Amino acid sequence: MYTYENKECSLRELVSHVKRDDCVAVGGGLSWREPMAALRELIRQDTGNLTVAGSAHGIDIDLLCGAGLVAVSGESYVGFEQDFGMAPNYRRACESGQVRVADSCCYTLVQQLRAAIAGIPFMPIRSVQGSSFMNLHPEYKTMTCPYTGDELVLVPALQPDIAILHAQYADKHGNLHIEGPPVADILSAKAAKKVIATVEKIISREELATKGVTIPYFYVTAISETAYGAHPTSCYPFYGYDREHTALYYDAAQEGHASFAERYLKPYVFDNVSNQDYIAAIGGDKKLEKLRAWNTGAQQWMALYA
Amino acid sequence: MLDKTRPTSCTLGELLIYQIALTVDDGILAFHGFGSPLVQLALHLAKRNHAPNLVLIAGATYGVNPNPPFLTPTSNDWVMSQEAECFLDIEELFDIGASGRLGRMFLSGLQIDKWGNMNVTRLGGDDRLKLKLPGGGGGCNLSCDVENITIWTGAHRAPADDAGRRRYRLVDTCDFVTSVGHRTVDDQARDEMPYRGGGPDCIITDLGVFDFDDSGHARLAAVYPDTDADLVRENTEFTFPLGEDLAMVDLPSPDMIEFIRTMDPMKIHHRELRRSDRGRSFELAA
Repeated sequence: MYTYENKECSLRELVSHVKRDDCVAVGGGLSWREPMAALRELIRQDTGNLTVAGSAHGIDIDLLCGAGLVAVSGESYVGFEQDFGMAPNYRRACESGQVRVADSCCYTLVQQLRAAIAGIPFMPIRSVQGSSFMNLHPEYKTMTCPYTGDELVLVPALQPDIAILHAQYADKHGNLHIEGPPVADILSAKAAKKVIATVEKIISREELATKGVTIPYFYVTAISETAYGAHPTSCYPFYGYDREHTALYYDAAQEGHASFAERYLKPYVFDNVSNQDYIAAIGGDKKLEKLRAWNTGAQQWMALYA
Repeated sequence: MLDKTRPTSCTLGELLIYQIALTVDDGILAFHGFGSPLVQLALHLAKRNHAPNLVLIAGATYGVNPNPPFLTPTSNDWVMSQEAECFLDIEELFDIGASGRLGRMFLSGLQIDKWGNMNVTRLGGDDRLKLKLPGGGGGCNLSCDVENITIWTGAHRAPADDAGRRRYRLVDTCDFVTSVGHRTVDDQARDEMPYRGGGPDCIITDLGVFDFDDSGHARLAAVYPDTDADLVRENTEFTFPLGEDLAMVDLPSPDMIEFIRTMDPMKIHHRELRRSDRGRSFELAA
């Protein structure tokens, strides 16, 4: 439990809580509220050999794979939906054997996190038996239910070493307020040994209490104020999804490992370290204005997807 | 007098959206998942027509009965949950699925076999990974316990390459079973399993509509104005029985077509179709 008064620190200190070989639960989902600034810092710190576990993800896990930080993937989905399709870095890393494929499934993951939260060794599910996941995961066991006689699958508790989140608001004590779908953030935070979060804004405890506490402070190890920290994914109500930047990312990734290193990692991860420099690199105020304009009308919002 | 502003034909995409919508009963809970523009449009179409009491749960945001101003290519987006009546969270949605209270789910696959098993995990056997696919989200869990499953694909057609080989979408056997149909990987029948759900009851493709016979095997039930059983056979790896009267599907009404065009101004749903199939269109009866 993390009970100290002030959790605020720099992005660098925040991310240094992640250690080599950790099992990491990345927050957000698909193109929504991914902790991208923290992941870019993780790449700069070169903290590798990670196991990642989560529900439906996209550019976050693909970026980590492209930087060579992932050893095992226990995600339920990694891709860009009908937007761009398959995740190029993730695919390459899995197909080359660099990443061991340990795909999961959303409810399996939910039950595994719940077991960790409750401090019990496993949770039962009815599903998954009869599918190929049973061979992929020899740690899943079956048992006959002592009450109904039904055959059930037992999935072991999953306690991530660390959850990396991006939220809209925190107070200095580490209380987090998430607006919109929390995805698996609350479950991951309560199951993990440590929780680090970047936030759009640090506000006073009174203000945060008025908005409501989504994740209580004592789960949270450290926080860092990083505006636009989810870019290029969305963090409503602050900003929408940057499809234009994601297209640039996708092109660089699809062309191959060398292209991705040169055309993406170098300009957006390694050369522009401060948040200010990163924002300038992605197009500065003009870009931010466009991303903030989502709530000025349907046409402006739709323009983000053109 | 003929109103020239009204649609007189529908596209393949609109036909598919309508066929998927017809599988949705009124008054049930249905979830459209993510990465599924055809299904997302189908649920909104169903709710505005024959299924006003549908509890429409949006994929990824878990918003209930939203009214999106337009369709996006990304599912976990506030666009898709605009005006939602309430929100579920991930554990609540999947608990509802596990307890058998979700009436229908929609699943697809890069491989779909004759029993309705599907693969979105990997091509190549256990010893050699040829192609890593994105993965199934919650599809495996939901395929077991949701009451009914609609299978759909916009890419049934499997044209032969220069060497005459076809990469089938509808295959004899999946390389990996991500979601379960009517026979398990150990060749057990679904009714021997302790699942809550009844499994898939249709496969809606760009070439026709299948149902499943009593043994759980896919059976061709209907075709489209520009397809027939031979074309479906040529593009399907397994052999399949034909339904007693091979039907011609119904087409959507002009109102429905207009609704789809208004809701998807960027034609996101075209991305589920082969480029060569996007131009297919069907005349509506006068």
